[in-house]
This record gives sequence, C-alpha cells and structure tokens, in this order.
Amino acid sequence: MTSDEPEGQVAVSPEQAEEAKIREALRRCSPETVAAALGYRKNKDANLANTVVVGVLCRFVEPDQRPKLQGEPEHLRLLEDLGLDSLTMVEVVMLLEEVLQVHIKNEELQDLRTLGDVKAYVHALSSGLPPPKRPLRMDVAAIAASMPHQPPFLFLRDAELRTSEASGTYAIKGDEFFLSGHFKDRPVFPASLLLEALGQLAVLALLKGPAGFGVGGASVDPASIYFTSADGVRCTRICKPGDVLDFIVRPKRVKHPLAVFEGHVSVNGEKAAFVEEVGLTFDFLRPLDEAGKPSGEVSPDAPVAPAAP
Amino acid sequence: MRNVVVSGVGFVCSIGNDVETVTRNLREMRHGFELYPPFEREQAVKLVGTIKDFDTTSFDAEDWTYPSRYSVKRDVLRGFAPHGLYGYCALRQALDDARLSQDEISNPMTGMFTASAGSVSMLHHNMTRMAERGVMRCNPMSVVNSVVGTLSFNLVAAFRILGASCGFASACASSGHALGYALDEIRLGRQKRMLVIGGEDGNRESILPFAGMRALSASTDPELASCPFDRRRSGFVGTGGGVAMVLEEEEAALARGARPYARFLGWGQASDGHSPAISHPEGQGLSRAMSACLAASGVSPDAVDYVNAHATSTPIGDRAELLALRKVFSGEKKPAVSSTKGLTGHGLSMSGILEAAFCCLALREQFIPGNAHLRVPDLDVASLHLPRETQPAAIQVALSNSSGFGGANVSLLFGKA
Repeated sequence: MTSDEPEGQVAVSPEQAEEAKIREALRRCSPETVAAALGYRKNKDANLANTVVVGVLCRFVEPDQRPKLQGEPEHLRLLEDLGLDSLTMVEVVMLLEEVLQVHIKNEELQDLRTLGDVKAYVHALSSGLPPPKRPLRMDVAAIAASMPHQPPFLFLRDAELRTSEASGTYAIKGDEFFLSGHFKDRPVFPASLLLEALGQLAVLALLKGPAGFGVGGASVDPASIYFTSADGVRCTRICKPGDVLDFIVRPKRVKHPLAVFEGHVSVNGEKAAFVEEVGLTFDFLRPLDEAGKPSGEVSPDAPVAPAAP
Repeated sequence: MRNVVVSGVGFVCSIGNDVETVTRNLREMRHGFELYPPFEREQAVKLVGTIKDFDTTSFDAEDWTYPSRYSVKRDVLRGFAPHGLYGYCALRQALDDARLSQDEISNPMTGMFTASAGSVSMLHHNMTRMAERGVMRCNPMSVVNSVVGTLSFNLVAAFRILGASCGFASACASSGHALGYALDEIRLGRQKRMLVIGGEDGNRESILPFAGMRALSASTDPELASCPFDRRRSGFVGTGGGVAMVLEEEEAALARGARPYARFLGWGQASDGHSPAISHPEGQGLSRAMSACLAASGVSPDAVDYVNAHATSTPIGDRAELLALRKVFSGEKKPAVSSTKGLTGHGLSMSGILEAAFCCLALREQFIPGNAHLRVPDLDVASLHLPRETQPAAIQVALSNSSGFGGANVSLLFGKA
C-alpha cells in the first residue's frame, strides 16, 4: 500500500475489479444474467454464455416484447419479432463482447438474425469453434430466377437457406386473384396454399440449399420436382390480408428420389399451421453411377417416378 | 396571405414545466435561479436557471429521471441529449395543448423546425470515450445524441413527422429563425402546420465557456446576477430547457376547433456585419430587423404595445438594444419593453422561442411581464417605458427580439387572436 492511498481503503484484487466491471456493464440485466456472466468467466461453460445472450437481449427489448423471449424460441427474429433495430444490435454485440470477452466481426453481425443465430454464434466463439456457416439469403427476384414456380403462383417473398433448415416469408397483400373468391367478401388465405408455400420453400431448399441436405451437392433438376404427400396437417390460425406468413421447413429424410420435410407456418410469432411431413420427389440433372452418385451425361428423358405416399 | 396562429405551447424551463406554472411565475415575478452545484469551484459563475424535476446529469440517458407523466421508450430516449428530453416533453405539452391527433401530427402537411446548438457535454463525453476505448466501443448513437441537429434527428423520428424538417443554428437567434421560416413555410402553402422546438442543455459545458468571454455574471445574488437594462448588470445567467410551439394555418386551426393563443403576424431579420461575437454598439442590425418585421407585417411602430427584449444583462448588448429600440420607436406612443431574462436567465438557442411563447401568453392573458431586478436603469433608457412589475394591460400587438453571434438579429411579431 502506497502512502497516498486513503486510509481504511481495502486493496482490490484484479478478480474483484473484473467482477465489478461485469456487474457495472450488466447493471440493467437480471441477477441470473450477472451470475451466468461471472460463472462463464470462471469456467467458460458455453451454456452460461447462452444465458448471458438471452439476458442481454432481454435488457434491450421493450418490456412489452420481453415475454416473447420465454422458452427461448430459436426462430425468434431480433428485428422483426423483437423490434430491435440494427443500432440496438450494435449495443447488444458490444455488451456481449465486453462481458464474454469475444469478438464479433462486423460482417458477421448482419448474419445474426434470430435468437438461434446469436446463440449458435456465441456458442461457437465461446467454445473456440469456427462460427456457423452463413445462410444464403434470397429476395423474390432471386427466388423466381431459381424456381419452376412463378408469379402469380409464387408464395415466397424472401428466404434464408441454412444447412439445418430453410425459412421464408410471404406478405398477404389482399389483391391476390384467388382472395376475391375465397371467401365472398371475406378474404382468407387458403390453407391449401399454406401447404403449397411450404412445398415451394422445400423446393427452393432442394435446389439452392447449402450442401449437406442429403443430396451430396449434386444439382437437382428443377423440372423434376413434384409434390407427393402431406401428413399430419394442422391449421390453427386464419390468415388474412396484412398478415406476414413466416415459413420454416426442416429436412427429415432426403434420399433420392424422395425428400421429406417438416413444415411450420406462423404469423408474428403466433402458430398458424404445422405439417408433420411434406414429401417431394426429385431427380438429378445427371444420372446416378453405380455408387449412387450423379455422374455421366444429362438424361433429359429420365422418367420421374412419383413415390407412393 | 394566409393567416397563421399559435395553437399550442409547451415549456420545460427554469420558471416552470407547464403553461400554468410559467404564467404564474411571470405574473408573480419569481425567478428560476439556483446555485448550480457543478459551479461550486468556479469563481467566474455561480448561478444557473435550473430545470426542476429533471435529472439529466448522467451520460447514460437510461439513468435520467423526469416527471412520470412522460414515459419515453428506450429506443426514443437513447438518441437524446439532455435538451432532447426537454424538447420532447415540451412538444408533448404543446401537442396536447393544441389537441392535435396523431394523424394530424404525422401528416405530409405537418413539418418540424428545431433550434439547438447541439450538446457540447455529450460531444465531449463521446470524444473522450472514443479516445479511451476506441471507436468500436462507442455508443452507436454517439453522433445522433450530440452534434448540431440532434434535436431534429430525434424529434422528427419520435413524432413520426412526414413534412418539412430542418434544424437551425444561429446561436441565440436560432429559434427566432426557426419560427420565422416556419411561418414562411405555412404562408407559402407548403405546410398546413409547423411544430417548432428550441432546446439547450443548460449544463456546465453549455454555459461555462461564456465565462471565458466575460459574458457571465459571477454574482450569487439573483438580483444582481440577472438585471437586464440595470446599471449594475455585469453579464447573464445561463439556462436551458425546451420550448415548443404549434403554428397552424388559421382556417385549418379554427375548422378543428382550436383555441389559438395569438396570431403570428410576421417576422424580419438583419445582420450587424460587425463582429463575430459582439453586438453592434448602436444595435444597427437589430433596429433594421425590427423595422423589417413591422414592414412585413404591415404594422406601424405606434401599434406595438409590448416588446419582449433580447437584453441578456450584458453591458454592451443591453445598451445596443436600447439604442435600437429608441430608433425604431421614435414616435409619440412608446411600447412597454421588458426583458424576461431577469427571471429565466439566457436560454441561448432556446431564448427566441421561449420569449415568443411569453408574448403569446401575454396576448392571451392580457398582461405585460415586468423587468425583474431593474432598479436603476441605464442612462439611455429615459425615453423608453420599462415597467418594473408585471401588470394587466389591454394589448393587441407584441414584438419579440433575438440576437445571436455573428450579429444575427431576428424580430417576431404577434397579435391578439
């Protein structure tokens, strides 16, 4: 202790100083968040990092939106669902960086769209793993250029394709041709078209999804894909003009010539429809060799054999 | 030509945070000065016209406290400088006062002009943090919460303004300019109504630098610290806050049942072309601004009943204004002249709209605010009428002056509604 330190003041250890900094940085967060951050700094437990992520997001979200974070839904979108804007995301990132001692790159910040994205990203950083692969984002023009489906029968406005799943949206405008007849003076988006939209997203995932969708990176022939089945369809919400439909499909089994997806539709976080299985058949642009891999010449006459449901 | 009325006002200022309190304090001549704790160690300045019931000391807006009747969401609050919060609260009052609906506020025919010098304290804090921690560790709202224009950026977004918007920065003439150009915007038919807001932090960083110019009074006695036109004057007392006014095309205002405070008759401006910081010794620019204002309004000097002077309690400025007033009002009939800065202190960018709003209160309530702390007038004032106390008076026309650095002068004219 040097002579000019005030009398009675206890020397502060570096650990205590560090803890005080964390407490100060997280002073508007819940006690659980602070405890998780302190725990994480001691043992680098990635699960504690998750708790910190959720606690920090909660601190920046308007109080009336906070219940949405309950249960930590992976697909909760930070901007659209929680109302955070891009500058608030900068604040979230700065706080996470400070508390978890990680560095989030600016260009990777744009890829953190959902709660699941942030958790996976921070989990990778805090475990010393490479960050998750970037999703492929497509707007309506890119989607239309890739798909056999075209307006007025294309029900995707944008899409994001990841290795594990594909998500997309469609805003019901109200001037869709079929709404004038479904129903008379009372436009309701047809449930059959919810199923169609999920099927379209699955088609897009098959055509453009990142490698690892079970098709070995081979090119799927757009003209070879047909709908085969739907099982366990449940619709729970009436969708009307003004609603923005959120779609998610996840591959369950993809093995030539069949691809089976699970599908979800929601509106502003509220469940609208669930499909246990959407089945598609598909073929490759090139025929398969003996090992079951696509090779050789393109065979335009290769028949498409619809699989039995 | 389209008539324009003032259909709502709102105050967060040293003499009150609502119309009723401000009116009462003007009538009862109660000043808003207090010893300002951050000036405890300063020799050159002690008093400030403080804002009551607000605490914006912290650089983290989420720490601020303010009256519970205003609830400000985080995404609105986070970009504010202290005067952003003051201006926001004043505007909420003015909009309630004018009874405007959300559709009328957020409308292509409703614009917003603001006046502020930015936030020196926020700028200083942000630059210090940038130097200490690096730019990537700065608050992402660092620019938005500090630079000149901060008041516009934030309030235009917070109130979802769709019409014209612009910030004015002409030092102590800023909010005079904002009001004048807002009047033009309506007269030209570009907008149906204009929201005008002036704001100043009124804190250590915004006020103390004026001590270096020897423009502040060092007195701890309110009587001596701010006594415009008095021989004992030695400088001004600084203040801040937020003031808002709703200007509206008269027909539109009356059609929706508004109860206007006053008519906004016209405005004029002129420059001294003399010094960046010191008034022209004879107030040449100011006298031309007043004449231009009266000519543009089609009102003769004899018709003016009350002048709310810019006089801040500085030796040179007050005398220059007296000479300018003497020149413009040389006829038989003299208006009553007072500077309300004896009660409020000098609100810098905000002073023009603060005093224009006082003129509107005076016209609606029919009184003339007195010259607080005026005991022995400067020799030059013998020929002017300088009431010492607030008095009831039947007044039809009131003129408000503002002068700023660079010799910018603005005069605004209001008439009984």
